[in-house]
Amino acid sequence: YGVGKWIRKPECRNINRTWCDLSSETSDYEEQYYASVKAFLNGMCSDWIETTRFNPLTDTKIDPPMVSVSSTEKSISIILTAPEKWKRSPEGESISLLQVYPGLQYNVSVLNKKTKKRWWFSISNTTLVVPWLEPGTAYCVSAQIRVTTPLLHSGFSKEYCIATLKDSVTF
Amino acid sequence: TAGNRIFHFGHCRVSMSMTEIRLGFTAIKANIQARDPIRTLSILSHPHSLHKVKSSDGCCITHHLFNFYVDKVFKHCKTEDSFINRKISSIANSFLSMKRKLRQCHEQNKCMCEEESTEKFKQILANYEGLNVTSAAIKSLGELDILLDWME
Repeated sequence: YGVGKWIRKPECRNINRTWCDLSSETSDYEEQYYASVKAFLNGMCSDWIETTRFNPLTDTKIDPPMVSVSSTEKSISIILTAPEKWKRSPEGESISLLQVYPGLQYNVSVLNKKTKKRWWFSISNTTLVVPWLEPGTAYCVSAQIRVTTPLLHSGFSKEYCIATLKDSVTF
Repeated sequence: TAGNRIFHFGHCRVSMSMTEIRLGFTAIKANIQARDPIRTLSILSHPHSLHKVKSSDGCCITHHLFNFYVDKVFKHCKTEDSFINRKISSIANSFLSMKRKLRQCHEQNKCMCEEESTEKFKQILANYEGLNVTSAAIKSLGELDILLDWME
């Protein structure tokens, strides 16, 4: 947008699928973009039709964080990892979403599978230790990313369940 | 108010509620941008992105841009849609209060303008004056997220 030069996308010419990956063309998130497409059949073609203006910063759908959990007798430790920005090749530089959205936070839910009691935590760093839990009990963890400005949030990750160790005191 | 943040522009510290502005803009973005048919020009980003402005010039550019939006943009964006108009005036009110806060910094000499930011703002005005008032105002309003993204 504002440049006045349409970027051609050879990989999406003469295709019959209904989507086109424009990640490469829209990877600079300090810019904004339009895309346009036309259809043709038997020599006849439609007008060009444009998307709305795409702002990568505010219009991106954020994936849930990766969640890993470990446990002791009475606590569980949760490590969260935000997704990375799209990169052209696996060798490309990895940019965490935290660099793109400095206000990035996590909402974490912890469920006691036995009592069905659920706790909620809102944290900015990537590790969380939940203490004072019951030994030998299964807990399930799920997490979501939340950005305050611009206002964005991911869906919740699937649940990761783990059991605290059994009480080591024997009579 | 909700979503208040302290913005540090060098020695100038201003608290602003970005969440309200963001929500207001998100509500009108598609409508306003659809009224702007010009793809080849950007008021704020032509020829260079706002992100090229040095952070030391942040206060001056922000001060100029808030004045620009209050004095030259919002008042020329009346539409036939009362919902849109209400959202625009809500954003304008937020800008008005922030403009006053930035003026205090300016009066206390905490908002110095260097050549680069002065040149950048001249370019923005030239882009604006290159169109008729209504088109320029609607395009500028449609680019509000460019300013908000840059500020944050």
